[in-house]
Amino acid sequence: MKKEPIPIPKESWSGAESILESISDGVFTVDGNWRITSFNRAAESITGIRRQDALGRMCSEVFRASMCEADCALRHTVKTGKPIVNKSAFIVNADGRRIPISVSTAILRDNRGRIVGGAETFRDLSLVEELRKELQGRFQVGDLVSRSPAMRRIFDLLPQIAPSDATVLIHGETGTGKELLARAIHNLSPRKNKPFVGINCGALPDTLLESELFGYVKGAFTGAAKDKPGRFALAEGGTVFLDEIGDISPALQVRLLRVLQERTYEPLGGTETRRANVRIIAATHRDLSALIRKGLFREDLFYRLNVVKLDLPPLRKRKEDVPLLVEHFVARFNRRQGKSVAGVTPDVMALLMAHDYPGNVRELENIIERAFVLCAGGQIERKHLPPELTGQPALVPAPAAERMADQMRAAEAQAIRAALERCGGNRLAAARALGLHKSTLFRKIRALGIELPREDGRRSRRKS
Amino acid sequence: MKVAITTWNGRVSPVLDVARQVVLVNIHDGREVGRLEASLPGSDLQAQVAALVALGADVLICGAISRPMASALSLAGLRPIPFTAGTVEDVLAAWQSGNLLNPAFTMPGCCGRMRRFRGVWSGGRHRRQGHEPDEPLPPREAQDAKGKGEKR
Repeated sequence: MKKEPIPIPKESWSGAESILESISDGVFTVDGNWRITSFNRAAESITGIRRQDALGRMCSEVFRASMCEADCALRHTVKTGKPIVNKSAFIVNADGRRIPISVSTAILRDNRGRIVGGAETFRDLSLVEELRKELQGRFQVGDLVSRSPAMRRIFDLLPQIAPSDATVLIHGETGTGKELLARAIHNLSPRKNKPFVGINCGALPDTLLESELFGYVKGAFTGAAKDKPGRFALAEGGTVFLDEIGDISPALQVRLLRVLQERTYEPLGGTETRRANVRIIAATHRDLSALIRKGLFREDLFYRLNVVKLDLPPLRKRKEDVPLLVEHFVARFNRRQGKSVAGVTPDVMALLMAHDYPGNVRELENIIERAFVLCAGGQIERKHLPPELTGQPALVPAPAAERMADQMRAAEAQAIRAALERCGGNRLAAARALGLHKSTLFRKIRALGIELPREDGRRSRRKS
Repeated sequence: MKVAITTWNGRVSPVLDVARQVVLVNIHDGREVGRLEASLPGSDLQAQVAALVALGADVLICGAISRPMASALSLAGLRPIPFTAGTVEDVLAAWQSGNLLNPAFTMPGCCGRMRRFRGVWSGGRHRRQGHEPDEPLPPREAQDAKGKGEKR
């Protein structure tokens, strides 16, 4: 392989070498074959590649930037003659680290003005990126994003809650991120390298839930051909997340209470007691105190669960999070779907801010996901939002009037139209068929605005 | 045996994380018996790994690879030969002759790291297929490679 450097003529350097060596931005130059002809000290430091190794090699194999293949800034400049300033990318250094950089380019010409190559300067943005992440981190824990004071208080508590093994009870409306919070606690805890096992207690019938939680042994019931470990066994050393804990039956509440009190359980049909080395995080959207008053939830279980209680506020009470969440979801869907949606227009943001979000953050996420399906690029506009948000009539016909009086009017009109049709338009015959006096029928026809058929039956009889 | 090489302009693509093209070469008894090209997403890391796994290649030869990408590939059970540079044909010929560790096919600045990568990664798949590299591995790395190979 050709490795000899192709030096730029000394006269074109004109003492610039010492200046290039002194700056903190990486600089390299290439010849017409995209081989490196100079490589300054900062370039060595940022890329981790020695000058002697870089000189003469293809710039893409030295620089290894994310833009090299699809959107090379230097190629663009050489092709169009236009310099590029501060284009963002990342490079993969010798240690496999992704280093965020900003790139600027320029054309190199000789004394006669002929293009002899290009120059690229690049700045290490690692520090800027770290600071940006730190700033972002103040608003984000795991997948939870918020800048509201109520959520901030929860975020501040997490580093204290996570390391302990204390049972946590999360209360919040549907779609507020109860499972995300549970995962965040798990990921901040010393159990983070062990499994996080979640189960929705409201989704399974009682007996099935019991076997799911505690497992069963071979022969416990018909079809139990072999032992099956329960969620407590699967989560050994990790965290069990019991969602919709308010929906479990009193019988299961007793068994769960024993796990919480003694950290032991027996699989279905088993005689051997097993230890549960798990942390339990429970969540519910229901008011457990009210359930206790109604006798539907055991008080002792509630107090076992309620060691640390976290209340997730609904989105309507933290509207200041909507722009941050929109930005978060747009970035996520761009990443997942390989799109480059730039965000939302100001009037879309105004509509999103005005909405009440009965489905909370999940509803907002769904709105953005729906918009991504319809929006190919640019910004998400009003037309990409669901009709219920924009106030436009829905595409599907509105359901029939719900008031009883309106429904009765509609039914009467339908019966009269059908009778008239059956009687060939003869009003008297239709009135008899309906059991009405002819005057009552005429009054109803007028009141209900029923259009009468052209032929009235009598006339057609006379004609015949 | 299927050998996948990520490509760009006839050379090994500089960065696997964003590579958009891959050539899949079918080799039987040391001879090429078929070749096809495929596209890669070149954007999302997980999608890129999924596309590479879907190729069903026995060997993946590629350019620079970031640590997150290396971890994701490792989880997916893929052991690439990273930080490789050169034209696709030269690299393929070098791989077939067991000469891919030659510095001429190594990206600049990656000697130490690359040998470590290759020592471990090629120690599993590459070696078991009887392709002993020309250059012997240093004893410690060779031991690591052997250990990994036995585990898998």
